[in-house]
Amino acid sequence: MDTLATSPSDVAVEPDRIRAIPQGKVGVWWFLASEIMIFGGLIGSFILIRLAHGGWHAEADHVHWRIGALNTLVLLTSSLTMAWACDAVKERDQRALKTFLFLTMLLGLTFLGIKAFEYSWEISDGFTPATNLFFAFYFTLTGLHACHVLGGIVANTLLWLCAVRGRRWPMIQHRVEFAGLYWHFVDIVWIFLFPLVYLS
Amino acid sequence: MPELDENLRAARRADFRVWEYLLLLLVAGLVVFAAPIPKMGIVALIFAAAVAKAGLVVRNYMHLRHEHLLLYLIAFVPVLLFVGLTLTLLPDIALRQ
Repeated sequence: MDTLATSPSDVAVEPDRIRAIPQGKVGVWWFLASEIMIFGGLIGSFILIRLAHGGWHAEADHVHWRIGALNTLVLLTSSLTMAWACDAVKERDQRALKTFLFLTMLLGLTFLGIKAFEYSWEISDGFTPATNLFFAFYFTLTGLHACHVLGGIVANTLLWLCAVRGRRWPMIQHRVEFAGLYWHFVDIVWIFLFPLVYLS
Repeated sequence: MPELDENLRAARRADFRVWEYLLLLLVAGLVVFAAPIPKMGIVALIFAAAVAKAGLVVRNYMHLRHEHLLLYLIAFVPVLLFVGLTLTLLPDIALRQ
């Protein structure tokens, strides 16, 4: 006979499993949940207003999808290097951690550099947030995302400095994982922004 | 120590494989974008690719597949709220005409 009913001892195990999740990790996931609501609200508004205004196809033709695709490649690659940094910290490989955190920072800066170049190109062509509703959304969504990338670069730089100095190793271990969660979230936001703004 | 190195190498290989899939989906999205198919088909396929990419990142890089149900709930309740609210408002705002 199958024993599907949970015994009192099974029930007691569940709160212990929840307690086993590091508090910092739960905190980061709550923070990411609030970020989902921020970006979700903006993306939802963009989709609804875009549909209400017939799709904004003429306006969307002015954004450079090739640059957007290049930036997607850069950010996806930075997610790989961040995942490698998390692997390195688990195996206590300090040299690999330094290398991959540095590469992640570098790729983040590359993303921002390409974005800045793209903005300057669009603004010199006369497309600013005041041009029309599409560009108001475009600059808000991509600008907010770029601010988040900058935040991730700052966090990774601080962790990289700790790794270079070789101090506070136990503290770094968890924080690299938390910074990784944030960095991958920023990547996921771009994964949706790219088709929404550049390809649709 | 060699065992540790082997673990690290295996983890890196797995991460690299995920990155290859992500790249493949990015290229697939761009091919669909340039393909001579109806606009709605393009949008649907591109967003399917985006959802697949996000799923790969969440499952493999954010390790959500190994996490407790509590973290799933924290992550997916806001996603459900956002999707639900957007769909609820769709008839009033987007489909008015």
